[in-house]
Amino acid sequence: MLATLLSATLVALDGRVIRVEVDVAPGLPGFTIVGLGDASIREARERVRGALRNAGFVHPPRRITVNLAPADVPKTGSAADLAIAIGILIGSEQFTPRPGRAALIGEVSLGGEIRRVPGLLPMVAALARRGVRRVVVPADGADEARLVEGLEIVAAGSVVEAVDELRSRRRMGPTPPARIELAPPSGVGAASPHASIVAHQTPPDLADVRGQLEARRALEVALAGGHGLLMIGPPGTGKTMLARTIPALLPPLTDEESLAATIVASVSGEGPIHGLIRTPPFRAPHHTSSYAAIVGGGPRLVPGEVTRADGGVLFLDELTEFSRDVLEALRQPLEDGRVSIVRASGAATLPARFLLVAATNPCPCGHAGEEDRCICSPGVPERYVGRISGPLRDRIDVWVTLARMKAAAMVEGIDPESSATVAERIAEARARQTARPGGKLNARLSGRALRGFAGLRPLTMRRLADLADAERLSGRGTERLLRVARTVADLDAAGDVEIEHLEEAARWRPPSSRPAMALAV
Amino acid sequence: MLGVGAGPDGAIGGWSDRASGDPPQASTIRPQDREALAVLLSVHGMGPLTLGRLVQRLGSPAAVLDLAGTGSAIECLIDASRDPNGPGRAMPANVADSIVRAGRNRVAILADVELSRLRVVALGDAEYPARLMAIEMPPPALFVRGSLEPLAARHVVAIVGTRRPSPPGRRIASRIATGLARAGATVVSGLAVGIDGAAHAACVTEGRPTVAFIGGGHAVLFPRAHDRLADAIVDGGGAVISEYAPRIEPSKGTFPQRNRLISGSADAVVVVEAGARSGALVTASWALEQGRECFVVPGSIDAPTSAGCNGFLRDWPGLARVVSGVPQLLDDLGLMGAAGLPGATGLAGATGLAGADQPDDGRVVVRSTVELPTVAAVLAGRDGAQRGVADALVLGAVTVDELVASTGLTVGAVLGALTRLEASGLVRPLHGRYELAGVLAAAQPPTAKPAAA
Repeated sequence: MLATLLSATLVALDGRVIRVEVDVAPGLPGFTIVGLGDASIREARERVRGALRNAGFVHPPRRITVNLAPADVPKTGSAADLAIAIGILIGSEQFTPRPGRAALIGEVSLGGEIRRVPGLLPMVAALARRGVRRVVVPADGADEARLVEGLEIVAAGSVVEAVDELRSRRRMGPTPPARIELAPPSGVGAASPHASIVAHQTPPDLADVRGQLEARRALEVALAGGHGLLMIGPPGTGKTMLARTIPALLPPLTDEESLAATIVASVSGEGPIHGLIRTPPFRAPHHTSSYAAIVGGGPRLVPGEVTRADGGVLFLDELTEFSRDVLEALRQPLEDGRVSIVRASGAATLPARFLLVAATNPCPCGHAGEEDRCICSPGVPERYVGRISGPLRDRIDVWVTLARMKAAAMVEGIDPESSATVAERIAEARARQTARPGGKLNARLSGRALRGFAGLRPLTMRRLADLADAERLSGRGTERLLRVARTVADLDAAGDVEIEHLEEAARWRPPSSRPAMALAV
Repeated sequence: MLGVGAGPDGAIGGWSDRASGDPPQASTIRPQDREALAVLLSVHGMGPLTLGRLVQRLGSPAAVLDLAGTGSAIECLIDASRDPNGPGRAMPANVADSIVRAGRNRVAILADVELSRLRVVALGDAEYPARLMAIEMPPPALFVRGSLEPLAARHVVAIVGTRRPSPPGRRIASRIATGLARAGATVVSGLAVGIDGAAHAACVTEGRPTVAFIGGGHAVLFPRAHDRLADAIVDGGGAVISEYAPRIEPSKGTFPQRNRLISGSADAVVVVEAGARSGALVTASWALEQGRECFVVPGSIDAPTSAGCNGFLRDWPGLARVVSGVPQLLDDLGLMGAAGLPGATGLAGATGLAGADQPDDGRVVVRSTVELPTVAAVLAGRDGAQRGVADALVLGAVTVDELVASTGLTVGAVLGALTRLEASGLVRPLHGRYELAGVLAAAQPPTAKPAAA
């Protein structure tokens, strides 16, 4: 007989409801799956066969045809395994479910267990939108599925459990929304038994970074205004360490951002999700990462690092070592806050509103400025940072160069501020920005809005013109100077941009455009 | 004064019938010869020797070029370039071939010279620097951007050194250049990064002309980082000069060749910092060979940037002289106390005693009409933050951390002060550190106590 069940598949970050039709008919024994499935769906035959047998059911020696509808949506992944398995059991009349529509999501193992699949959250959400009231999900994905309100989530650890649940007459009604209780402050799953897996994501505290006052200030300014940051310095000067403190310096995500981040994490399959992710993501792809890894892609249109950093920070260590293609690909997301991927299998536009933080050595040998340690020819260090292409340079508002500290300064020095103190100032400065009409961070303000909010007095205006003149700034460069100055003023709790704010902002310009370079010697 | 006014040694005579030793009254160079020189010099592998032989055999540069346009030009040119004293030493065929091609491209080559706003000053032109005329193998022609007048000054001193100086070395170069400029001498150097650049920049800051000899063509100016410095030198009444045609790429061989012009156009060479194998030592050796005076700033025996300097002093006792201080150097060069020096008159405080700034530790105190600026004077009129930051920099702070620690200012205030100082050219950032620049780099270090009046 024919059994029809609901399941879901993923298209980029969205869930799509699919109907799983299983026909168990007399004839030569066989098992066919039709409906634009990929390799992992074809392999479902073997998983389902094993799962049914090892769970104590019979894999019927009949002619089994599975149709995944609608036929024009490409289906990927193993999320429909469970629906196919249950469909065979119903179709071969091994059990009869109670009436009422239920959807099933999950991968089955040969032993009959049900496993978590990536993208559970958007898939369950899609089912909820279609009016489904009851969804059977893998037991360890239940927390994630419960983030969707108004659904009865049935957690099943195995095919046997799933059958029991579907057969039972008891009805639990919608599970209470789980959003409120679940908000681990320090990242995905930090409060879960799996915390050790993600423990490295606990950011170091700024108090652990000695010295580097200039870079710390640059970091604060960049984060406060959402500006791109580039740190240039020899190895071991604390660039990476400073970058790693960022997650704890940013304010927690808003509800909307949080949901988006959780969906991305779900689709990326980063590990069990137990609640909404409140900490801004911090992604640090290695410089050998491929184009597809950064931008996203593949037949399943999986999100790349730019999307996984959405709402948080994309940290590119050794910026100059990234392939040119990868760096060029950052232009669109930096411009529009999203990335379009077009593949033979389809097209998708994924969110990619990240803060770009990058670090690079000052020269190929890494020791420029350290007197005898640099083995590069004169002029090479200057050109090295110049490798960063114009469009990318234009998108980085805050540049800072770090020098190696003297050992004595590391020990003595002033006691550094803690992340909490700095985070508070950043949050206040951000609050001042979002309180303005439009509610945008300075880095995302339009030029006109920026001038409106700058409150430049004639004298300040003249100083801006002088600085722009001295540095031969273009209109765009001048605007960026003003943009950063606005952030410095926000950190200072100043209503108007004053001369001293402009002067500090001028320090964060790319080194090559500084006035003294005119007579570089 | 050594070598001034001495005639050419005849290496490339023949087409210029100017009597040896006579200062030229007017140009004896025909315009077509000057153009022919520019074209011939744009040939790779064409040096003063080959060109000299060709001109000697064929009569004039224009004649060489005329020959290049004829049928069997290559054979004739090779034949003409054969050294009468050393049989077999003719130019290679590819050079002859290049000459023929250059002859065909002469319009384009000359347009190039025009486009780079260069003047071709040929040996024999009235403008040709007299000191250069006297060296062995003077360049047949110079490609000049700017004015050659500063090279005719009464005192011309070359300052050379490593391309990777230590910060104190850079400041010493600035100070010496400033002292020389204020005393009315023309500073000559090589436009390289490092000591050369510091010397040129100090003169530009002083508003005094300075002259740079570059080791390649003007159109391929090296180092590119000094594009703007080169412009500033020309705008300031000085010159950027090359013996190479505009498109000749600088190479390993051109720089040492160029060094003979730096020393040759000066009365004295001052080596500020030089590593063991520095090109500055080549210049110093040229200076001795050309009979110029040679001054060397000594350094610690442990300092790699002074290894070459100290070695040179050891190798040439009696010839290489020690620089023990800026006033002492000016004194040794005969630039002190000479009232009526061109340029020294009219200097504010020209009667002061710069030598009095020397520590009274038994060293010779020299009377001077030239005063180096003092840190306090340079910073007068600036706000407290800038003075504090500049003072800390003078005392050796280099990073923002150190500046914050020693001034007690906030990070923001230090950064603002640095911006202002940098905008005035008194400070410059270098790889995350900050160092003195401009007049401030040339200022007397404050550790020197004023002598008892």
